[in-house]
Amino acid sequence: MVKLEDLKKEAKRILKSGKVKYIIGYAKGADGLMPIPAFIKDPDGADDLTWNPACVHNLTKFIVDEKKRLKQDKNPDNRPIGIIVKGCDSRAINVLLQEKYIDREDVYLLGVSCEKTGVVDEKKLAKKLKGQRAVQIDVEDNGNFIVTTESGSEKIPAEDVLAERCIECKANFPVIFDIVFGEKIKRRVDNPFQSVEKIEALPQEDRWKFWMEQLDKCIRCYACRSVCPMCYCDECVVDTISFVVEPDTTAEEKAQKIKWIEKSPNLSENIVYHLTRAMHLAGRCIDCGECERVCPLDIPIRFLNKKMEKDAKNLFDYEVGFDPDQPSLVSSFKDEDPEDFIR
Amino acid sequence: MAEEFEPKIVAFLCKWCSSAGSDLAGVSRMEYPPNVIPIQVMCSGSVSPLYILSAFKKGADGVLVSGCHPGDCHYIKGNFYARRRIALVKELLEYLGFDPERFQMSWVSAAEGLKYTEIIKDFVNALKPLGPQTKLRRNP
Repeated sequence: MVKLEDLKKEAKRILKSGKVKYIIGYAKGADGLMPIPAFIKDPDGADDLTWNPACVHNLTKFIVDEKKRLKQDKNPDNRPIGIIVKGCDSRAINVLLQEKYIDREDVYLLGVSCEKTGVVDEKKLAKKLKGQRAVQIDVEDNGNFIVTTESGSEKIPAEDVLAERCIECKANFPVIFDIVFGEKIKRRVDNPFQSVEKIEALPQEDRWKFWMEQLDKCIRCYACRSVCPMCYCDECVVDTISFVVEPDTTAEEKAQKIKWIEKSPNLSENIVYHLTRAMHLAGRCIDCGECERVCPLDIPIRFLNKKMEKDAKNLFDYEVGFDPDQPSLVSSFKDEDPEDFIR
Repeated sequence: MAEEFEPKIVAFLCKWCSSAGSDLAGVSRMEYPPNVIPIQVMCSGSVSPLYILSAFKKGADGVLVSGCHPGDCHYIKGNFYARRRIALVKELLEYLGFDPERFQMSWVSAAEGLKYTEIIKDFVNALKPLGPQTKLRRNP
């Protein structure tokens, strides 16, 4: 079990000694159970920290934001940032290290193990509770949840409310950390790619129909891009921020600027946007499922990224986020890479 | 009588091998279907997935990416990178339910004019029964 008291004590200790600038963690939210990301600067604030299976956010995104801010800062405070990482988040840290976006000294990692379980899916839980509001969630020894609502507590099997990604999680404990809370117990996973295989098993036309229905919904709010810790490009391919149109910009100059993707939400553009995003995340996505969680239209974006993860594993024997020293998927190759599709 | 459907193929040919191979086919007066629009790129490794999607979006019925044989790359290892990347694009398009026949990759050296003509002939024959590509075409 992760002892919250230990976590708070360590947080206080590193804040008091000035070892870290601040700590990014989870705090109790205004809405009952669901916690919110918290930025804790003084040792007393560490009492606000919380940890429970509703801590769904991937906080590494804020490390990326901080790094961007530091670049602008004239007198940067280069002390590390304390951050609470789950198994999936720690893999995100590994990828950021692998890409040399951050240095190991930039972060102080407070790892928390999900142990026998994972995090809950907000929507699944709401459906299960039929409108009642959960106020507390505990984990039983066998990994099942005890959810306390205003009208009493209820035992719920883990599979019913666990987030999809946790059901398919390969390592539900931190793979990189400075200090770890909780035991390294692996949750049993039958098939890490079951969701992808379910779609792959469909006939071609049904697959197309399924994806077109999903992608047609996209309103291009870019929430998936904003929340992703790996989407840190200064200029995204869908934006043209580096191309400034001034009064004397000629029509020819405007025409010369290639527009790969239109910004308007229409189906063909949405397909290209989501495929491009999936390609950019190939070998980088650590399956934290944040894109899918924040999607206001419930597009199963995760299935695209998971497909890339599966191919990386099956075709190139590449696993994401376990080794910060391995070369990245698309900037390396092996002589024996498959080429049976090439004539 | 309706005219027979003639597919439009966009071919990304690397400058050092495949493009020279297509040139050889031309100067040797080999006959092959005129359905290809060749686009010379410096290396097959420089072909971004966006080029491919963009070609389909603008109405290509088929896309071919062609580079040097493994080990013959002018930039030593560009085609190895291409091999990985294109494999991923191909898997992704198939996963989406796009016709896998519409996207191909080949190795054509500067001496293989004949192989180039054969690839194009087979590609055109494979595309004809499929009809026009409408799935990824930009809707108005």
